[in-house]
Amino acid sequence: MTPSRTPMQQVQASLARRRRKQITLQVLGIGAISAAILMLGLLLTTLTLSGRHALTQTHLTVQVFIDPAEIRADRLPRGGFDDVVTAAIAALIPGADLSNREGRREVSAISSNGAQFLLRDLVVANPALIGQTIALRFPVSDPYDQLFKGLIDRATPEANRRLNDAQIARFDALVAAGAVSTPLNWGLLFNADSRFPELAGLRGALMGSFWALLTCFVIAFPLGIGAAIWLEEFAPRNRISDLIEVNINNLAAVPSVVFGLLALAVFIGWFGLPRSAPFVGGLTLALMTLPTIIIATRAALKAVPPSIREAALGLGASRQQVVFGHVLPLAMPGILTGTIIGLAQALGETAPLLLIGMNAFLTSAATSPFDASTALPTQIFLWADSPERGFVSRTSAAILVLLTFLIVMNALAIALRKRFERKW
Amino acid sequence: MNPTKISACNVNVFYGASQAIKDVSLELADKSVTAFIGPSGCGKSTFLRCLNRMNDTIDICRVTGDIRLDGQDINAASVDPVQLRAQVGMVFQKPNPFPKSIYDNVAYGPRIHGLTQNRTELDEIVESSLRAAALWDEVKDRLRQPGTGLSGGQQQRLCIARAIATRPEVILMDEPCSALDPIATAQIDDLIHQMAQDFCVIIVTHSMSQARRVSDRTAYFHMGNMVEYGETEQIFINPREKLTETYVSGRIG
Ligand SMILES: Nc1ncnc2c1ncn2[C@@H]1O[C@H](COP(=O)(O)OP(=O)(O)OP(=O)(O)O)[C@@H](O)[C@H]1O
Ligand SMILES: [Mg+2]
Repeated sequence: MTPSRTPMQQVQASLARRRRKQITLQVLGIGAISAAILMLGLLLTTLTLSGRHALTQTHLTVQVFIDPAEIRADRLPRGGFDDVVTAAIAALIPGADLSNREGRREVSAISSNGAQFLLRDLVVANPALIGQTIALRFPVSDPYDQLFKGLIDRATPEANRRLNDAQIARFDALVAAGAVSTPLNWGLLFNADSRFPELAGLRGALMGSFWALLTCFVIAFPLGIGAAIWLEEFAPRNRISDLIEVNINNLAAVPSVVFGLLALAVFIGWFGLPRSAPFVGGLTLALMTLPTIIIATRAALKAVPPSIREAALGLGASRQQVVFGHVLPLAMPGILTGTIIGLAQALGETAPLLLIGMNAFLTSAATSPFDASTALPTQIFLWADSPERGFVSRTSAAILVLLTFLIVMNALAIALRKRFERKW
Repeated sequence: MNPTKISACNVNVFYGASQAIKDVSLELADKSVTAFIGPSGCGKSTFLRCLNRMNDTIDICRVTGDIRLDGQDINAASVDPVQLRAQVGMVFQKPNPFPKSIYDNVAYGPRIHGLTQNRTELDEIVESSLRAAALWDEVKDRLRQPGTGLSGGQQQRLCIARAIATRPEVILMDEPCSALDPIATAQIDDLIHQMAQDFCVIIVTHSMSQARRVSDRTAYFHMGNMVEYGETEQIFINPREKLTETYVSGRIG
């Protein structure tokens, strides 16, 4: 007969087993988190590596003589602005030949197409400049930008290169003359879209996203809170409210492209709202954000301790006074957090915006929610689809901009939660 | 006995299908303290909550029978529970101050009921209520600080001050001292004595000694029935019912 063990011995025997389980659990948890961090790190690294080239933009600074023979005050805004710029560049390149068309094109191809418009806008704004010599800084065209950033390998055979030896030699002359610089690429944020990568920026997309999110917030926030308050505080518990609840939870899981189709059919098809407008985009995003806000608000309302409601009711507060005077203020941090996370989701949503045409090529930014516009994610989609080499790094940079906004919004949500967290 | 303030007749309460109160009838006297005692789960809180219709807020709860405050049926369609609760205040088992300042806690009732015309009147009500709750001296220098920052006993007295600030006629207290130490309990006992001069006070308690100290009359509940109701002295010294005797002598509950 084996000697029976004391309870203490049994506890000790089980200790090792329990400890083993605990360690396994910890290892699994740490492994999962490490994998997630690794993925995120990989994503950010690749984006930064390819996007960093778009953070600066190669510029050329030249002394432009605004030749009265080419540009006449009485004919503005017409004039030979391109010829004036080309002459200014050629002045820095020894042996540049502007006598034939071929030679002129080779020199003018160094500057971005935008240079002449930059000059035109300056002169139109101030015709007194005609006849003077001014320093003008403008972006170089995409191949030379790539060359200066080392993205074109001089060692590859000339036939396989985007720039031939003569072109490189001309650009090297400009570098030697000290005319080339690479300032921060503010144009990425402040320019509208363009066919030329060196000029393309996100202003249109940022404005579009701003108007769309504003519309989305203005519609989804009050509606969502109202619906949640009614469902949580006033609705009778019966079949109908159960059905509504199930449907709201389902709505949160509907693929976003379906909302896009719905918006296309209803907002644009029936109501005749304009295509590509951030207002319609905002309406669509509001449909998607609504369930998120409702669910977050209900959770926040539920989390308010019942003792607070009882206290107020016991003093003779009406239900409306209880909800708006006590429950809602206490639930507000939770509601705001949920709303911001919902808006952050909406900011990155692409499919429904593509369906309502917010991926049009537009060279001016929307000034109202009813102007046609792109949005950040659709702009990324557009750029990713462009064949020009310069758009590759710009796409990554645009993704970084989008991610920055998302991180800021999520940080705001956390800050709000921390700030208003209360103990009761 | 003082004139009757509340009379309940054949009250039954159901939570869904289960019955929590069975045919209870009793009369509660004005300007006196009545204690409800009985083992856990016998329905004391449930009955107390009938008196200010707090059971309305529980979906599955159904109350039948006739409850009259000053002769007026409180369950009549014409009675607004909001007005009733202004007349019949309540103090809960767990102190539940609002996460607002001490001042705002006490001023809440007068504000929502529009009891005051101006700031001075409100200040007066806040001060007199806090004095009545024996809290004034401890908090007079920090009225703007959160009520949740007080100790448990202070919080409970704040809740009492908050309840009397609305100038109710009846005050219901559901185990107000269950979370308090003997000193705080003694303070609240004194308070209840004080309040009985102006209000009809009804208190639920698990403490036999508290019931004996503070109450004029006592009702003993058992499994949803009101077994015995009478002068406190008589209930404790000379109970008529066997059940009451076993309970008050400490053999059950
Ligand atoms: N919200 C509720 N839903 C369902 N049943 C309830 C509810 N509240 C109370 N009950 C039931 O009603 C009965 C009486 O409960 P009540 O809270 O009135 O007892 P009590 O006498 O106050 O007990 P205690 O002394 O423990 O506070 C109990 O059987 C309880 O389970
Ligand atoms: Mg109870």
